[in-house]
Amino acid sequence: MTPNAVNWSLAIPEIGLALSGLLILVIGVLQKRGEGFFSCATLTIAAFIGCGFLVALSPDGVAYAGTFVNDSFARFMKELALVGGLLATVVTVGYQGEARGTHAPLPFETPILMLFSTLGAMIMASSGNLMTLFVGLELSSLSIYILCALERDNVRSSEAGLKYFVLGSLASGLLLYGMSLIYGYAGTMDYAGLLTAIGSEESPPLGLMVGIVFVVVGLCFKLSAVPFHMWTPDVYQGAPTPVTAYMASAPKFAAFALFLRVMTGPFGTMAPRWQILVEVVSLLSMVYGALAAIPQTDIKRLMAYSSIGHMGYAMMGLASASAAGVRATLIYLAAYLVMNAGVFAVIATMQRKGHEVTTIADLAGLGRREPGLAAALAIFMFSMIGVPPLAGFFGKFMVFAAAWQSHLYALVAIGALSSIVGAYYYLRIVKVLYFEESAEAFDPPATTLLFVTGGMSAATVLFILALGPLMTVAQHAAQALVG
Amino acid sequence: MIPQLVFYVFATVLLVSAVMVISARNPVHSVLFLILAFFNAAGLFLVAGAEFLAMLLVIVYVGAVAVLFLFVVMMLDIDFTKMREGLQHYAPLGACVGGVLFFELIMAFSDWKMVPASTIAPLTGAPGLTNTAALGTLIYTHYVLLFQACGLVLLVAMVGAIVLTLRDTGMGRRQIIDRQHARTPADTLELVDAPLGASVSAQGGFLRPHQSYHETSVPGSYASGGMIEAEKREEEV
Amino acid sequence: MTSAIAPIGLMPYLVVSAAMLVLGVFGIFLNRKNVIIILMSMELILLAANLNFVAFSSAHGDLSGQVMVLFVLTIAAAEAAIGLAIVTVYFRNRGSIQVEDATMMKG
Repeated sequence: MTPNAVNWSLAIPEIGLALSGLLILVIGVLQKRGEGFFSCATLTIAAFIGCGFLVALSPDGVAYAGTFVNDSFARFMKELALVGGLLATVVTVGYQGEARGTHAPLPFETPILMLFSTLGAMIMASSGNLMTLFVGLELSSLSIYILCALERDNVRSSEAGLKYFVLGSLASGLLLYGMSLIYGYAGTMDYAGLLTAIGSEESPPLGLMVGIVFVVVGLCFKLSAVPFHMWTPDVYQGAPTPVTAYMASAPKFAAFALFLRVMTGPFGTMAPRWQILVEVVSLLSMVYGALAAIPQTDIKRLMAYSSIGHMGYAMMGLASASAAGVRATLIYLAAYLVMNAGVFAVIATMQRKGHEVTTIADLAGLGRREPGLAAALAIFMFSMIGVPPLAGFFGKFMVFAAAWQSHLYALVAIGALSSIVGAYYYLRIVKVLYFEESAEAFDPPATTLLFVTGGMSAATVLFILALGPLMTVAQHAAQALVG
Repeated sequence: MIPQLVFYVFATVLLVSAVMVISARNPVHSVLFLILAFFNAAGLFLVAGAEFLAMLLVIVYVGAVAVLFLFVVMMLDIDFTKMREGLQHYAPLGACVGGVLFFELIMAFSDWKMVPASTIAPLTGAPGLTNTAALGTLIYTHYVLLFQACGLVLLVAMVGAIVLTLRDTGMGRRQIIDRQHARTPADTLELVDAPLGASVSAQGGFLRPHQSYHETSVPGSYASGGMIEAEKREEEV
Repeated sequence: MTSAIAPIGLMPYLVVSAAMLVLGVFGIFLNRKNVIIILMSMELILLAANLNFVAFSSAHGDLSGQVMVLFVLTIAAAEAAIGLAIVTVYFRNRGSIQVEDATMMKG
């Protein structure tokens, strides 16, 4: 295969998803006003499922003259992103299906924007070139900026969209500046070329380091890793719940995929230098996520801080700088996806007379009012703490084990400690669910949301069954990247 | 000598207009300075030999993006007298931090080391092509995936702008075209024998072809039996 | 270098783009008046990066920098459109575009 070959058959999942997105958009436009949502949403779900099959079948290789790379790691991250998008779309359908009161319904473009954002995430996961990284990142981010501001008559939604847009564009700008400096040093933006260029140098020059720092800053922002997490709580709280569910999953996975690919690919020869940086970021994220969530009264903000903490744990696997570490991170992300989607499905049911209510006090006594939902939420909370044999336990265990093997004892100790401290607010939610006086009842939950909640709680409890095959797949992925 | 002079002129005006963008009191002035900055940046691109990009900067950035900014600035109907001046408060500290950052960047960039062309082969078009042609040979072959992805980015932007800002107020009279075409003269014309000198009101006033007229208009737009706001208000008064 | 940039050299370009970057970042963080100024500062940052790409492309004799500028221009235009749409929606809801008023959510 000549290095400049187009080899487009490798990108069939992405091409298929893009074409189906266009088709669904046309179908949505042709429907009567206000009626297009459900058909677009179901078609989007079908497109995600179809694309998931195509991704699983796609071969390894390099396409489009090196700008597009497909290997087991890319396949794994793409499947995660697709599942994240799928679950978020189902939650959107459920959210729409609840009595919406005086608020205007979400427009039919919502699932289509989620589709395009997931497409951007897939392009990011397959990037072989810094340019592909940037274009995929922008495709994903721009869709999300729009999604955040979609509830047009809700001032919080507009504010969330504005804040996310400003800070996200700043991060993209800094990322781009860093990329320009890297290009200036190496004369190419292809990962393979960068590896040759950087690897040939014993001590990389200062300009290159500045460029890499800018790139890392931009990526850390997208991951909402401390200290670039400022936007997360406000944006998570203000955006519509299904959009928050989406934001907490697919873009984070894509950013992780980028981080892993960039740090182990072109900049891999500088591993010792960035390992300490990743350790510090991981530590700060875990601690901050644990501590800052404690005084929160709004459950969406609490989930924002909780997701910051989770990203910290996932980065611990990255800090281990080994194949075992990467494998641990991948399993952690898979467990996180399942728990997160479930929690947001439950949050989406929290509506009273058509208005969304998201304070923790509103969950009081849910154990008596809706025992099924409360049980599911309790399962998710315990899983997030890391109680065995639920999904979260395996994620944390693997990450701690990988860090221990890489002699990062202090990091493991602090991680365990922040896990215990963080357990406080998860347990507080369980207490509120079961041991407090009942608050006013919610509207009856939509069946779609019950379906998602049930499915995700089953997945959380039965994660141990899927662990074996998941570990094999993750091992392949990690080896494709590092080994 | 001449290239350097040209460069320094463009660069100075660029930096001055960039400063004015962020510090002008009137946002319309800011946009105009932004346009000036783009023009000078295009000049700098020309000096560096990127002719196509210089043209593109003027056409796309100035012609589309800056004009869009101007539209929105004027549309948002901001009250200038109420603009609070918050800039002075943090300006000295910000200037210090900015200055420090700037000098650090310059120190990092002095003596810029580059990988020699022997390590990484540069990507040029075939020799002898103009800049535009060379770019064309690259974009549609080497980078075609990114080209298509950028198309999708533009689509998303378009969908986003529409879904966020298009308001559902009736856009005035609209018609259903096929029904309009299916009208026959029998539906619309009725010949009435009117005696000479008789007034219209004596004949029963203006007759409107109720059936077909209301059939061919889009329900909810003007002519389908609903009234526009002005008529409604007149009726109320 | 036999490139077009040879008579001027790389450093002046890098200085100008570094200055633009600093001005853009400065404009975003110190602006209290008007959210649209923030959007324009973002355009300055992107312009700085574009200038860098063009200068390095000319210095290396490599066209991929210029191709990148092409894509960045496209994306910057799309981003400006979306940003202005979001500002419009925000203005319709909030009635003001002062940066200090964007404080509905705290903590």
